[in-house]
Amino acid sequence: MVKKRELFLFLALLILGIFFIYVYGYIKQAQQDIFSRVETNKMQQIAYLFQNIEKDIMLDNNIKDTKGLVALLSDENVRKKYEKNLSLLITPSIKYIYLLVKDERGRFRFLLDASKSDKAHFYQKFDVENQKYQDLYNTKSKQVIRQENMENLFLTFLYPIKNNGEVIGVLSVDITTKIKKIVSELIQPLETFFIILIIFIFLLMIMTIVQVFHYFITKKKIFTDSLTQLYNRNYLQEITPMLNIEHYAIAMLDLDRFKVINDNYGHKTGDFILAQSAKIIKSSIRGSDILIRYGGEEFLLFIYNRKVNDVTAEICERIRENIHAHTFSYDTHDIKMQVSIGVHENPSYEKSLKEAVKIADKMLYIAKKEGRNRVVYYNEKIKSSNISKSKDIDFVKQALEENRVICHYQPIYDHINNEILKYEALVRIIDHDGKIISPIFFMPELKHTNIHYKLTQKILSTVFNRFKNSKESVSININFFDLTNSDIETTITDNFIANPNLASRVTFEILESDEIDDMKLFKDKIKLLRLFKTNISIDDFGSGYSNFKTIIDIEANFLKIDGSLIKNIDINDKDFKVIKSIIHFAKEANMKTVAEFVHSKSVYDKLLELDIDYMQGYYIAKPEAELINKKELFKKTFS
Amino acid sequence: MKLLLTSIFLSLLLFASDSSDKLRVKILETIFSEITIDEKLRVWSDNKNILSEIREHDKFETATSCNSANIIILEYKENLQESCSSKCIFVLKYNLLSDIEHSFGALFWKKGRPNIVILEPRVKSQSIIITKDLEPYLEDKVW
Repeated sequence: MVKKRELFLFLALLILGIFFIYVYGYIKQAQQDIFSRVETNKMQQIAYLFQNIEKDIMLDNNIKDTKGLVALLSDENVRKKYEKNLSLLITPSIKYIYLLVKDERGRFRFLLDASKSDKAHFYQKFDVENQKYQDLYNTKSKQVIRQENMENLFLTFLYPIKNNGEVIGVLSVDITTKIKKIVSELIQPLETFFIILIIFIFLLMIMTIVQVFHYFITKKKIFTDSLTQLYNRNYLQEITPMLNIEHYAIAMLDLDRFKVINDNYGHKTGDFILAQSAKIIKSSIRGSDILIRYGGEEFLLFIYNRKVNDVTAEICERIRENIHAHTFSYDTHDIKMQVSIGVHENPSYEKSLKEAVKIADKMLYIAKKEGRNRVVYYNEKIKSSNISKSKDIDFVKQALEENRVICHYQPIYDHINNEILKYEALVRIIDHDGKIISPIFFMPELKHTNIHYKLTQKILSTVFNRFKNSKESVSININFFDLTNSDIETTITDNFIANPNLASRVTFEILESDEIDDMKLFKDKIKLLRLFKTNISIDDFGSGYSNFKTIIDIEANFLKIDGSLIKNIDINDKDFKVIKSIIHFAKEANMKTVAEFVHSKSVYDKLLELDIDYMQGYYIAKPEAELINKKELFKKTFS
Repeated sequence: MKLLLTSIFLSLLLFASDSSDKLRVKILETIFSEITIDEKLRVWSDNKNILSEIREHDKFETATSCNSANIIILEYKENLQESCSSKCIFVLKYNLLSDIEHSFGALFWKKGRPNIVILEPRVKSQSIIITKDLEPYLEDKVW
């Protein structure tokens, strides 16, 4: 959007410039008008006088032709008489007055000259160049010569002396006047003023154009991401007030496991893949769609869907397929990439664009959780299940302040001994309506925020309090960043020191998919936990970027296989094989295996077949506020 | 003829703002380029400005005195030495044509316009050859 101020200034200057040019033109016109009036007035007066003189000469002497006229005026006395008469017309402004005839060779000659100065001889040749002299003979009418280059002469008025319609002589008067000079001199400062003013306005207009041009250049830089050449978030902010969200669907795109690229191949490769991915995405959309680099490897896409149905799914799937099909070749590496996409097809239903983007982001989160390389749409089912109703940081902050953060516990079942091995503590928040809110609605918002650490501290305190005086064991989810937080570390160590029997009954489930920047620090923290004889479990194994060496190095006690692999094991042979391999690997590494997301008997039976150690899921028992006992297991199935 | 008239007229336009002498020199040089005498023209003038201007233009050879010149541009009769009175004389006033019998032509201003007169009998008597372009300015006598 052009800066309104500059546009207004430019238009104002343009109008002002046009006005001054008009005024300048008007002044010039007025000047010409004054001259013209003076000229007309003089000519009229002289024409009357010449008419009388013509009658006097022609009628009194019965002149028929030029020869007759020359013959008449050959007499010096006659010449003197007429020159005396003509000299009466001499005024300060009428400088010369004379009678000319054309000789046989077409040259003009003086017959009479009543001028007081520069008087010509009788029949002296007079060199005239102006065409008007010839025009007078041709048209047989009066002529006016505006003398532009004659010093002291303003006008020459030529009056034809005629007989029977033929010109036989020319009465000529040279008018010198200072009026033109005076008027010009009077108007000159005004003219100069307006010329300067017009030049000044013109310069200002150029400056304004330069400024607007500079603004556009700067604007382009401000709104463009230099790496991908896509719009950036500044642009989103700029267009938000003008964007008619009713005409668009929103898609949030994120390159899967992009951090691995940066870590394994370097940032240059990462930048290359980002730039290439941006190109692929751009080539997969239409000109009417708006693509924004939202941050890092995240892109926000506004899909124009006015009057067109089902374009959103088509475009999103095209992007996903194109990214998946492309091989990114950089240096000697051939890299395959995937993209996860979260879509909100009707963002106008939300209170604001921000809310709609949040929901799309939530769908992206679900796409990631469900195994990546997929498109997840916000639909009625998701809406009714409240998945999309994301809670912001303030919601969690308020819950912490009002002590509405609680834990539910889901048993992890030891099928061999038919015992509950331990319980996994799962955080919940009770909202103001008394509803239990699952972490999926608020955890994504908290990542790397101080509230996340406070929430972890709260969970730890709750769980430690709940289990410090019991015999049961508990698993707590924790990520690498939590472990490196000094407050959290203090909470853990203080509790373990104060309750020596607690540590050995606690298992920390560390998310395998979490981004571990500093491996040495991570191992140090694991060692610290081990000092207290705490158990370590790798959570969501198989969903992230597995580093077998690290898993072996930290000597985890448990390997919890990701639910996305478990849930279809009864119908998906590939998943079955993967899990079989994981179990084999775990046994070799001396780790116990835990399967989560055991939601049906068929899944449960398959896992038994694979000789899994422990199982967890709704088929066995769902999370409850209170610890359930062995008798309550499989209740859902059996009831 | 038209060529000469046009060049004179153009000179008038172009050099309207020039000093009178500069303008006169332009016209004089145009006229002199249209005349031929027995020998190469060597110009002298009693008007120092005109002489110096002609020298500067370097179209015609100039002389330091009228005696060594073969054509004289004369503005004032009293500046004409007797020893030079028989040379080709081009005057700058119409009346001088009458006053100096040996003068063959004149360039002068009449009613604010440049006028040229070449006296045909004197041109012939002095064996001065003129081109056709100067013919419109030929006069039989001084009126």
